[in-house]
Amino acid sequence: MKFPAWVRWAWWPALAIALLALPTIGANERVIQFVTYILIWAIFTIAFDMAFGMAGLLSVGHALFLGFGGYATGWLTVHAGMPFILALLLACLGAALLAILFGFVALRLSGIFFALTTLALGQLAMIASDTVLAPITGGQDGFAGIPRPTLFGIDFFKAGNFLYFVVVAFMITLAVTALIRASPFGQVLIAVRTNEVRASQLGFNVKYFKIGILMASGFFAALAGGLMSSLLFFLSSSILHWSVSGDVVIMALMGGSGTLIGPVLGATAFETLKEVLGELTGRWHGILGVVFILFVILLPDGLAGLFKRIWLRLGRKRT
Amino acid sequence: MSVVVIGLSIGMLLFLLAVGLTLIFGMLGVINFAHGALYMLGAYFAYQIVQWTGSFWIALAVSPLIVAALSAAMEVVAIRRVYTRDHFYQVLLTFGLILVIDELVRSVWGLQAKLLSAPPGLGSSVDLFGSDVSAYRLFIIGFGVVVSLAFFFVLERSKFGMIVRGCSNDSEMASCLGIDVSRVRTWIFAIGSGMAALGGVVAGPLYPVETNMGFAVIIDCFMVVVIGGMGNIRGSLAGALLIGMIRAVGQRYMPELIGVLTYMLFIGVLLASPQGLFSRRMRQA
Repeated sequence: MKFPAWVRWAWWPALAIALLALPTIGANERVIQFVTYILIWAIFTIAFDMAFGMAGLLSVGHALFLGFGGYATGWLTVHAGMPFILALLLACLGAALLAILFGFVALRLSGIFFALTTLALGQLAMIASDTVLAPITGGQDGFAGIPRPTLFGIDFFKAGNFLYFVVVAFMITLAVTALIRASPFGQVLIAVRTNEVRASQLGFNVKYFKIGILMASGFFAALAGGLMSSLLFFLSSSILHWSVSGDVVIMALMGGSGTLIGPVLGATAFETLKEVLGELTGRWHGILGVVFILFVILLPDGLAGLFKRIWLRLGRKRT
Repeated sequence: MSVVVIGLSIGMLLFLLAVGLTLIFGMLGVINFAHGALYMLGAYFAYQIVQWTGSFWIALAVSPLIVAALSAAMEVVAIRRVYTRDHFYQVLLTFGLILVIDELVRSVWGLQAKLLSAPPGLGSSVDLFGSDVSAYRLFIIGFGVVVSLAFFFVLERSKFGMIVRGCSNDSEMASCLGIDVSRVRTWIFAIGSGMAALGGVVAGPLYPVETNMGFAVIIDCFMVVVIGGMGNIRGSLAGALLIGMIRAVGQRYMPELIGVLTYMLFIGVLLASPQGLFSRRMRQA
């Protein structure tokens, strides 16, 4: 049972138009900043869900790629003097290469043990950035002065313009994910998730496919990291904290893992909930934990699954 | 000599935790990410009990029981519902529990780190083969040995241990024989979590009691379990002592690099022998 095709595609242009219209209808700076922030998290969640939703690789160390993207973009612009967009691209490519290493180590184990290993790798990145790599990353003091993009003389320091930049990046991420999903490569990944033994018996080298999707995942996670550093003009090792890796897992699952819109819904719901709860109480992480537990038990398909069920029920009544 | 004692004491502490983790995984198939949070909770309860009664020994006895009771409730309310699902959901569920437990601890005890002092008589150092070592660390080593021996004895020799192993091997057959399997599972989860809390109480006098302590230790614990082979208790012992020794030696001679080095060792082991150093079985979950 599926949504009709027009529903499955209509939300793209609708979302794009809504986002692009936001600065022109006079939304204030704070709202625009918040939406930009959500979009960047959505890119990160989509990237995470490439590995988890498509190939079934639960990485609990994905902050590593986000952080790498942020630091690489920051370092290349501030210290190497590169233009922002070139630096961002190089950071993403670097993260894809890093993902090969990451996969090479973590894919020695499968299933849950993969998750444990990624957790250790993420923690290694955090500790390394505080100690060995501190001359580059600034350690716990952080790294300031990351610029905004420069392109066609547009002033990206204005929140509205930077939002457009992020919307473009977001749409590219969505499009590439949809393409991967529809491609033979994506189909093989889904086969790997569904039945790994069978996929390898069919002659697919499962490991190469997994490393391939980890590369794509790392690439886009680093994109989110670079954009995040540019949005905030600042980075500290808290971007590598395990709770960042945890948050992205929560977002993907809350939204509906393995779907295209799920990560977007999840990131939006998570950040909005956090904002609302944060204003009411300082205890938002705990309440979020309870919400998340309820999702795991009651709604394992996430919001996307919930909407689908409601839609199908309404459809049945109409006919 | 003191490095050896420190290494052994860290190793024993890790082993106490890893045993609980392995027990829960081996018998229930659940990887409990919240194990570290329960360890932290154990330490905080111990701090509170010492504040009230002034006795470390009461804390050592009572705190694990409270944590075990809470965990039994968690198992009944939440974890029980996802046994039949994919392993991922169990990981995610216990991950949510970390957030809740962390938040509870923060709202009750605040962000300030608490200090728990070693029980009287063990706070000093003693002379061992010509070098000063902390008496409390020697106590940890002895305590760890006693607790693990008792643990093995119960699991391998007692009737309760037999029931537990039966439920894990073939839960349907066990329930046909009249065993209340879901009750046994609650017990196992409670005992495994109690071990985590026991570790937390014992660790209290060594480290500041703070909210970060759980996560720092759980990663070491996961490394122990991956190096030693999940479900392999002898392997966990060797893995725990290995990591403990490396931490102790590194802390003494290169404190700057120790964090990174431990992980590098772990990666090295994975690359050389993904089944872990002490297990011949392929581990898949």
